[in-house]
This record gives sequence, structure tokens and C-alpha cells, in this order.
Amino acid sequence: MRDVAVIGVGARPTGRLADCGLKELAYPAIWNALDDAGVGVDDLDVAYVGNSIAGLLTGQEGIRGQVVLQHSGISGIPVINVENACASGATAFRGAWLEVASGAADVALAVGVEKMFVDDSARTISALSGVSELELSQMGMQFTTSYAIHPKINLKARMDEYGWTLEDFAKPAVKNSYNGSLNPLAQHRKPRTIEEVVQSRVVVDPLTLLMCSSISDGAGAAILCSADMAKRFTSKDTIRVASCVLRSGHYKLRDYDGPDTATLCAQAAYEEAGVGPEDLDAIELHDAMAPSELMLYERLGLCGPGDGPRLIDDELTTLNGRVPVNPSGGLCSRGHPVGATGLLQIAELVTQMRGEAGDRQIEKRPKVTLAQNQGGLLMGQDSAVYSTTILTT
Amino acid sequence: MELLNPKDVRISAEAGATPCLVGAQCGECGAVVFPRLPVCPKCKKRDGMTEVEIGRTAKLYSHTIARFAPTGFRAPFFQVFVDLPEGPRIFSLVGDDCPAESGVLEDGMEMRLVVEPLADTDEMRAIHTYKYVPAACADERRGDAQDA
Repeated sequence: MRDVAVIGVGARPTGRLADCGLKELAYPAIWNALDDAGVGVDDLDVAYVGNSIAGLLTGQEGIRGQVVLQHSGISGIPVINVENACASGATAFRGAWLEVASGAADVALAVGVEKMFVDDSARTISALSGVSELELSQMGMQFTTSYAIHPKINLKARMDEYGWTLEDFAKPAVKNSYNGSLNPLAQHRKPRTIEEVVQSRVVVDPLTLLMCSSISDGAGAAILCSADMAKRFTSKDTIRVASCVLRSGHYKLRDYDGPDTATLCAQAAYEEAGVGPEDLDAIELHDAMAPSELMLYERLGLCGPGDGPRLIDDELTTLNGRVPVNPSGGLCSRGHPVGATGLLQIAELVTQMRGEAGDRQIEKRPKVTLAQNQGGLLMGQDSAVYSTTILTT
Repeated sequence: MELLNPKDVRISAEAGATPCLVGAQCGECGAVVFPRLPVCPKCKKRDGMTEVEIGRTAKLYSHTIARFAPTGFRAPFFQVFVDLPEGPRIFSLVGDDCPAESGVLEDGMEMRLVVEPLADTDEMRAIHTYKYVPAACADERRGDAQDA
């Protein structure tokens, strides 16, 4: 396998973008990435386009990638459409990485795009339910529900076992809302207090509105090339993909007591990159609901069981802590346009590693960073998709 | 009666019979799954899965009240996971006569299977599925049915 570099990233501000369909959303992200990389459309060998629910919500069921790319002036090259729930963006990135790593392509484009604001938000909730196995979604199971009571999370059990409180659940949201307030790309830019988060409207007990990532329109893109070609296109620091690991969930019986699949995915990524959690300088992770950030601290090896809230109390994961987590504001503040999220995470980390993050720039420029993205729900008590990517300069 | 997934639920016409779920048990390692699978997820043995009736009772594992609903459902409504005595831990809704209020359910409580409309809405009224209700609630229902 060849060394692969990320030489350009693009993101557009997320939010309710009423005038934008998929094509209009993707266009600025794609061109920001091309311009950032110094790459022209004729330099591209292949493109992967991640999207999850536009088929149901917009009616564009097939060939979404070709449609979106043609609108942006890209045609003729192989285009691979990627649907992998909330990890569609990370999966598109992995496809582009694999093309370049294998030598099949020299320059590859990865795009993630999602249109979630439509006429009726119940339609969006239903479409999101559709990224669970049908037997779950038909019964009305919602994603927010799973983040409260699913056996792999079960917040009530966490409260009983570790003494976690509603205030603890709110802490990641508060931290991330501050980061988001500094990010011009973020959907929500108001810094919040613990009280505001705890007292906001209950969505699914015990999760409140400000603990939940929100519906969002958005797009992100990245240009990857063989590391030895990077300087041909750009004079910026070469950012290497040290590992890019994709895993699927397991069918877990009730007596399963092994590691979480997110842990297995992260361990594989650490091993391949030759780094450990102690080496990380910044992380973008999948805080679809604020308390899940606390659990991901454990699963990424940052702390022991139940110790998540302490990492925030001790300011280890704040913007200028030892390992800042979600400098972009994360899913809760930057927004979670589901199929775009994985690429928005990569875009944020590359921007931080280059020292180009403006007001939200981490003072000590990160050299080793990790992106963690996941999605979907299977029968058998596991998520469907897990992704961990490690970048190094 | 139109069932959401007819292969997953069994309703007997015999008097006094209670409905149950239809799962599968591995002849090799004994693992029980719901819904049925052709391969055992634990020992991976193929074609050794046989049908078993399960889930007449359950124990509440976790529960929440969803304040927003997808198309066809009506909020607030309970969403729960239950532990079946035969093994599976499954997602379920809760019977309609159990009001979606805090304090009504308690993790660990005994539950019984009922078959009723997916939701009390125009879209879902005709489609039936399994749900669970607290055992006390089920006894009350049975009493009402016998009185009638």
C-alpha cells in the first residue's frame, strides 16, 4: 500500500439551507477542496460520494454522486455512490483512500452531502429511522431513543453504576457549544451553560434538546493523493492518512461481555498507525447525543469506565486541553448532516493541523489526530458501521 | 388480523391461548435469537436453527418516553427494551392502555406480550404487532375480556 496524503479539504456552513438541494449543497464544498488542494477537475481519477437519506427525502434514489458531481463540473471519471448511514462520509473517505493507497488512482475526491430540512420534520425522523434494520424502524424505534436506552448505551444504567448525572450528560454539549461559537461553519453558535442544556425541552428521557445533534443541511469534501505527489499540487504541510479502519457491528447476544465494536475499531486504527491514545493531539468524534461523547472517551482509550465526565471537569478535552475533542463544535454544535459528517470531521482536523482554524485554532498545532464516525443500528444490539481514521503530519 | 411481520408473531385460535413470538434456537450451542436467522450468530452453524415459541413474558430492561414521533406514530410514547426469559433482549413498544407517563414503568418489572395496532393513527390502526405491557396491566385486560 502507498502512503496517502490529504491535500485539500472543503466544508460549507451547515444549517437550514432552504434554497439548497443536494447539488447546491455539495458544490461549494467540492470546489473549496479542489482550490485548497490546487487540483483541477482534470487531475481527478475517481470520486466517492457519501449520502444517506436523500433517496427518501428528495426522491433522488439512484446516481446521487453522478448528479452532484456533474453539477460541480466533474464528469467522466468513475463515481462510486456510498450509503453507510451516519458514517457514509467516512466510508466515502475510506474508498478514496483505498483507491490511492492501492495505486489504482493517483488523485481521488471524497464527498459527503446531506439534505435533511424538508417540508415536514416527521419525514426526516422517519428517514433517519430507516438507517436502522427494518424490524426496528417499522416498530417506531428512533435514533434518539437508541442513544438513551439501547443496551450498548443505557444511560439509566450508567447513572446507577457510575453516579453520572444529567449535569454530566450536559458537559460535552456545553464544551462543544463553546467550540461551535468560534466556528463560522457551525450550525449553532451560541455558547450554552449546564443549566440551559439540562433545562431545555426533553426529547427522549433523559436526553434534552441541547444534548442532541440536530437536523442539518451540509457538505464536506477532501482531495487525497499519493503522498509522494503531494508537493506537486500544494506547498502546504503534507497530512498523511496513518490509518483508516472501517468495521461493521456484531450480532451480540445478551450475555456478550466483550469489547464494544468502537473499541475494536479504534484499537485496529491505533495499531496500524503505530500510535496510541496518549499520542493524540486532537479528536473529532461522533457525539450524536452529548452523553455518547463520554462513552466514546472510554472506547477510544482516553479513560477508564465511568471516568468520562472527569476529562471535561479537568479540562483535558476542552479546546486547549491536553487532547481537545470536537474543536469544530462536534455533531451537537457544528451540526450533523448525516452523510456529510465523516468528511466534516476530516476537514476540521486537516484545518487544525495546518493552523488555519481561525478563532477556534488549537494553540499547540495538532500533529496526530483521530476522526471517529459511526452509524446505523442492527438487530443484535450493535451499531452497523464504525470508522476510525488517524491523520499525522 | 393484519400483522406487521406475520412470521414473527403467533396467535393461536385455541381458547385461553396467549400470543407469543417466534424465534429460532441453535441446535449446536443453544443460542436463541429473535427474529429468526438461518445461521447461528454465536457458533456460526448453518441450518441448525429450529423454530421456538418465546416471549410470552419478559422483564423490562430499559425504557424511555419519546416526545417526538416518526410518520404514523403518535408522541409521547414509550420505547423499551425487554429481556425474554429464553434469552433475546429486544426492542418493543408498550401497549396503548399503559399511559406514557413517568413512574408507570420501572426497569426490571414483569411484562406480558400483547398484540395490538402499531399505533392509534389512521396509517397504523389496521397493522398489528407485538407489544409488552406490565403484567398487572395484562391481568386487568384479561379480567375485562372475561367479563365481556
